[in-house]
Amino acid sequence: MKTTSFPSEWTLRRAIAFAAALGIGVATYIAIAESGGGSPVCIAGGHGCETVAKSSYSHLAGVNIAVFGIVGYVLLLAGAFFVNDEARFGGFVVALGGFGYSVFLTYVELFKIEATCQWCLASAALMTVLFLLCATRLIGYAGTGERVRPRERRA
Amino acid sequence: MSAEPDRRQRLLQMAAGAVFLAVAAVLVLIVVNSSGSGTDANIEGAAEVDRELAGIPQHGMVLGDPKAPVRLIEFGDLQCPTCAGFAKEILPPIIESRVKNGEARIDFRNLTIIGDESTPAGAAALAAGEQSRGWNYLELFYRNQGEENSGYVTDEFMRAVAKAAGVKNLAKWNQDRQRLTSKVEQTTAEARELGYEATPSFAVEGPATRGSLQLLGTPETTGALEEAIEAAQ
Repeated sequence: MKTTSFPSEWTLRRAIAFAAALGIGVATYIAIAESGGGSPVCIAGGHGCETVAKSSYSHLAGVNIAVFGIVGYVLLLAGAFFVNDEARFGGFVVALGGFGYSVFLTYVELFKIEATCQWCLASAALMTVLFLLCATRLIGYAGTGERVRPRERRA
Repeated sequence: MSAEPDRRQRLLQMAAGAVFLAVAAVLVLIVVNSSGSGTDANIEGAAEVDRELAGIPQHGMVLGDPKAPVRLIEFGDLQCPTCAGFAKEILPPIIESRVKNGEARIDFRNLTIIGDESTPAGAAALAAGEQSRGWNYLELFYRNQGEENSGYVTDEFMRAVAKAAGVKNLAKWNQDRQRLTSKVEQTTAEARELGYEATPSFAVEGPATRGSLQLLGTPETTGALEEAIEAAQ
């Protein structure tokens, strides 16, 4: 029986790698922009990015949360290069953590800081996409072992 | 042959557990952050300030009747401890005896001398003034002042002061304070043109000064300020 309802793992891995690479770019920009006490430039205008960057929520244990974002995206990118259950499950857990924290940060932006940063929202959207991709990969291909292509899977 | 489905089942069970834990963690974070027991509760003196300023009109950063004949201008820095001392000790009798009865109005202007945090603090006060709560903001900021340039002037601190000061529209306040940074720099430049480098510094104008500002420097007592107001009438 073929798993026709899932995209091939190869496709999912490529999509994960692409989204993670974008995420690295976004998180790196935020980290660099905030490193000297500055803030990312809101392309759409306004002061939301500055307000969010200067809030206490932009740091966790003294470390800019964009740095944690970079680490997460790098782990997700690395996980896309391996075809085994460790990579599938590890990627899922990292994406789940990133997605969960993105939900919290978006709540904070909307209801506590009352300002939104488009770069943070872009990162949150990427984490959401990555979570969905990693969840699909895990559900569709967990337990299939290494080098087993989707069409070879058995029920 | 059964190892693969077992392994798959175990992984999916672990994933479900991780999702459960993540949902619980996010909910806990949101509940803890929305409880309101954080910075807001740390702002002290709101009731005292409300009592002191009750019934006195506020227009921007001007406290008192805008038609009051004498205008006392205070150049201050919200981070300045001496300004805080003036707000608590020297100015209240003036407000009580000269402002409430319409003899004088006090016009606060930023003169930032302490450091980088003074500018956003001053702009936040001006933004509160846009909603006629500027003096409540000033007085509360002074009463909750931290150590100079210690990093206490965070967005959360300023927001908590604004909230305690009775600023109704916090979203507008948040937008206004970004815009008003240039106003802080402008009044600082104006004060320096007058030769002021220390805070608080005062100036007075009234019928007796014939429209020109009389520079008072930093009077050390309430009595000295009262004499200046009387002389300007």
